Amino acid sequence: MLDPITKGAQVKNGRVKLELPVLADNGNSVSMKVSVESPMTEADHVRAIHLISERNPETRMASFHLGPRAGSAQIASRVRLAGSQRVVALAEMSDGSFWMDSANVVVTLSACMDETG
Amino acid sequence: MGGGFAFGFHLPAVNAQNVAPEINAWVVIRPDDTVIIRYARSEMGQGSMTSAAQLVAEELECDWNKVRVEYADTNAQVRRKRVWGDMAAVGSRTIRQSQDYLRKAGATAREMLIAAAAKEWDVPAAECTASSNVITHGLSSRKTSFGKVAASAAKLEPPKEVTLKDPKEWKIAGKPVKRIEIPDIVTGRIRYGIDAQLPGMVYAAIAQCPVFGGKVKSVDAAKVQGRRGVIKVLPMQDFVAVVADNWWRAKEALKELPIGWDFGGNDSVSSESIMKFLRAGLDDQSDVMVAKRIGELEQGMTGAAKVLEAEYFTPYLAHVTLEPQTCTAVIKDGRVDVWTSTQNAEATHAAAVATAGVPLENVYVHRMQLGGGFGRRAAQDYTRQGVQIAKAMEGTPVKMLWTREEDMQHDNYRPASLVRLKAGLDAAGNPVAWYSRVSAPSIIATLLKLPLKEGIDPQAVASFADQPYSIPNVRIEYAQRNPNVPVGFWRTVGHSQNPFVRECFVDELAHAAGKDPYEYRRGILPASTKESGVLEATAKAAGWGTSVPAGVHRGIAVTEAYGSYAAAVAELSVNDKNAVDIKRLVLGIDSGHVVNPDNVIAQMQGSAVFMLTAMFWGEITIKDGRVEQSNFHDHRMMRLREMPKVEVVLAPSGGFWGGIGEPGQAAIAPAICNALFAATGRRIRSLPLKNHGFDIA
Repeated sequence: MLDPITKGAQVKNGRVKLELPVLADNGNSVSMKVSVESPMTEADHVRAIHLISERNPETRMASFHLGPRAGSAQIASRVRLAGSQRVVALAEMSDGSFWMDSANVVVTLSACMDETG
Repeated sequence: MGGGFAFGFHLPAVNAQNVAPEINAWVVIRPDDTVIIRYARSEMGQGSMTSAAQLVAEELECDWNKVRVEYADTNAQVRRKRVWGDMAAVGSRTIRQSQDYLRKAGATAREMLIAAAAKEWDVPAAECTASSNVITHGLSSRKTSFGKVAASAAKLEPPKEVTLKDPKEWKIAGKPVKRIEIPDIVTGRIRYGIDAQLPGMVYAAIAQCPVFGGKVKSVDAAKVQGRRGVIKVLPMQDFVAVVADNWWRAKEALKELPIGWDFGGNDSVSSESIMKFLRAGLDDQSDVMVAKRIGELEQGMTGAAKVLEAEYFTPYLAHVTLEPQTCTAVIKDGRVDVWTSTQNAEATHAAAVATAGVPLENVYVHRMQLGGGFGRRAAQDYTRQGVQIAKAMEGTPVKMLWTREEDMQHDNYRPASLVRLKAGLDAAGNPVAWYSRVSAPSIIATLLKLPLKEGIDPQAVASFADQPYSIPNVRIEYAQRNPNVPVGFWRTVGHSQNPFVRECFVDELAHAAGKDPYEYRRGILPASTKESGVLEATAKAAGWGTSVPAGVHRGIAVTEAYGSYAAAVAELSVNDKNAVDIKRLVLGIDSGHVVNPDNVIAQMQGSAVFMLTAMFWGEITIKDGRVEQSNFHDHRMMRLREMPKVEVVLAPSGGFWGGIGEPGQAAIAPAICNALFAATGRRIRSLPLKNHGFDIA
């Protein structure tokens, strides 16, 4: 899932904080926040933050490109989620390392679907 | 048998879990032997609250007279890792989707109670049995009650595996026990969402843009600010609320309030323009997906002895719950309390969290009885509005209530659908080729905004793509065409309209083949299908083929929806003023198992009221981007004296769990229209019947 971005590089847990409601009544517009621990200097900054969905038809929901002049490594957005799933926030650092955090969100779909489940 | 519904405005803090031992999330037993069974989904008249409790009670081996049912609390749900699972009462799936874990919860609790008693007696648990709240050690004849051992049972590890009973052994499930909430309904003790009352409460009336998708442009609040009782005017992005000391004053002030709307260019949409758009979908070569393909359609048509073509239309429909949308909420010190009628309390909880911007644990949803659901109260638009208003009035409880007009004109409507059909018959009159193209909006793509699998909304092509007849060459196409009228899940959804199309067209084929419509269906339904079984049982009960009085005619149809199979036979006459006198409506259903036969019968009868209303008079039409209907004077409903006798045939064939709330509607419209054809020679290819000059006698 992360390979197209990391090209096989190791991804470590940590430094990234993904905030997402654990419960949403529909997936149309789910608010989320990502912050990454970084001094955001020329030598050490976050190059990009990627939002990745386990279940959406488009796995890579968004990529935010940052630089030292961004000041802080923080983004807030609203995303559309195709149902309950795990969402990953992946941070790409200036030294080429990758860090991530993930969160599970339950979308309480109230649909008179024929299928159960 | 007894049972009761523990109802009230109790806050979760005083929930029974703190005062009585909880054996598991579903079963609480008080020292006085009262058995509290938790119910996670909603009760809106469909009876699942009783049926769900019956399944737990059956395995628990408790005394049904000691059962009380309590709603599972959403705040506890989010704190306890969603211990109660899905809380949605939608898709006729409360029983079929929860039967397994509900029965296991009952059986697990029973085993724990028995184990606690056995431990106390120092005997093997296998030597003890439970029945009607009493545990007995067979060898020594010692007895104890659930209430006495509940506290120690609650401390035991639950067994990992339990054996569930064969439905043949059921004593409480499968029986027509009385509905738990009905005594409270008939005595007026029950509280609907609209009944919420809180000290210091104020009231809000709201107006949304009369044209779909419009926004608020300007509000001249000064015009109503001085009016008696008016507290505040709240212009929101897509609605305006007036808050007053009573609801009437809020509503009257709202009427006088000058609101400028931005229609977003949609104020020229009309039923005619929508029809033109849908019709183009029937002819378009692009943006059309194939939902089902069997054999070679063209080859089948070429070889056919006879080819029939037809076009069918079903209109937009509103839910029109008797209780208009309402939500009462108060936000104080970071805590949000919501009182509302909802088909999914957990979705209400999530909507309140998102709107108020508070942590998940700070929201409390107080579930009220639903004054009708039918799919309308799955979407949480009204919860968001109620909480938004409460947020603007922080500290003060606010009851928001829509007017009937607001409700009828701002629904998520059952989609309109236009279908073209073509069938080829062989020399014997049997279908060798079947083509349907559905041009209709997608609920899944527009309301839920979920991606469609291969461009197909299964609801839009329901009962075409899954039709049971043996036809060697089939092609079902779907042209997703979304006018700007919002669509949603209306009881029975795609199966509320497509069976009318399919089963009337099959009737056309039968007549073209010169065959009896019942025998014709039997001939093309594989004998092993459940449809074949329920069709036969219903036809037999209706006396299909026996003589009827002069002027009386029959129609028949068979369908499948929500895991159940249903058939209908209508018997009617039509007088020279086109008044339809429905003499009999026989509805058969095979739902696999039946948990409460009396409730299944009631659901089938209720389905008949709902569908007869829709098929005779129901339609939502659009002019200048607005809904034309507004209240019951122009949106007619079935009246008591007009209601025909509904005979229900329960034909459970076992081995599966089908739904009950929705499947009963599916076969009614085609059975009636097929009988109308038999009576008048007029083939009805669009609804409602009022547009063909028919009325009910």
